[in-house]
Amino acid sequence: MIDAWYPVGLISGLTREGRETLLMEQPITVRAGKTGKPEVVTADGRSLPIVERFGHVWTSLGTPEKDLFTIPEADHPERVLVDVGVVRVKCSPLRAVENFLDIAHFPFVHTDILGAEPHTEVEKYDVKIREEEDEVWATKVKFFQPQAAKSAEEGITTEYMYRVPSPTSSVLYKTCPPRPGEWDVICLFVQPLTETLCDVWPWMALFDEDTSMTDLIHFQQLIFLQDRSILENQIPARLPLDPGMETPTRADLTSIAYRRWLKQHGYTYGAELVAQ
Amino acid sequence: MPDLMPPRRERLEILGEVNSPSFVPWIKRHSGRLGLEASAFSVAPGRIGVTVAGQPDLIDALEVGCLLGPIDVWVSAIDRAPVADLI
Repeated sequence: MIDAWYPVGLISGLTREGRETLLMEQPITVRAGKTGKPEVVTADGRSLPIVERFGHVWTSLGTPEKDLFTIPEADHPERVLVDVGVVRVKCSPLRAVENFLDIAHFPFVHTDILGAEPHTEVEKYDVKIREEEDEVWATKVKFFQPQAAKSAEEGITTEYMYRVPSPTSSVLYKTCPPRPGEWDVICLFVQPLTETLCDVWPWMALFDEDTSMTDLIHFQQLIFLQDRSILENQIPARLPLDPGMETPTRADLTSIAYRRWLKQHGYTYGAELVAQ
Repeated sequence: MPDLMPPRRERLEILGEVNSPSFVPWIKRHSGRLGLEASAFSVAPGRIGVTVAGQPDLIDALEVGCLLGPIDVWVSAIDRAPVADLI
């Protein structure tokens, strides 16, 4: 995992003084250089590689073999790009991603917003590890939501696609109420501070001309803060790669595919290898 | 309470890098936790076979659990086939 790209700050939040933070337990400083371009340096003065994308500064402690993933849909000029900010969560970075992939919790955690009883059934959907892209994809995911987005005025059956393009990033494509045929793009970029502590940087690329930026940010922060209390109380704190103490079902196939993909690549930072 | 479906008996052929000695006991344990009866294990290179009986949804859950399995195996696919009706 050391060679993967990780988000470490908002481009819009860079300062000359910089922000001191951690990346996989290594102290780093994220700052604007003399020319205003971002710099990331370790405590011993080593400059780390940088990518500026999706409103964030990305870096790696190792030597990434490939470029950071892209989201072509997010390039549409009419989309509103939303830097949601950062939420610190006392959980494994892998747990944060896995929770984002879990649709079954919507009616119980995001009650009357992203889900509501009795609409709790997760219909059968497709999930696979796409070998060519080396990504996890779940498609044809359908779920009833009372308020699927800030711009939605009534309940609708929302269709989703989930994508995991890197170990601590996930991209959600969902039905766009004001623009049928297009997808809203909602991302969860997770900065692993330690194996059981992370900074979560949600980011969105939406078609929404009516809602203020403040309301869009508040909506997404509300959703994630509802998740945080669940995430911080999960046992074990790390994400199990052996389901021996759990009973995953068909509704959990995206989570299982994500864990299989982590296991296949040896992405074990923040993982529990043996069921306790 | 939803109606239970009739129990079923199926043969699961679990394929991949599955020959770790930990895997058969793991399958027995996980089947037990799900209330399934697991029997007639067969082990060959790259393959473990097991016959399970119980609720169809729980056999599905066993398949999902086995797809991930313990850390020292890699399951590439699971083939399922009905064995015979229990009733």
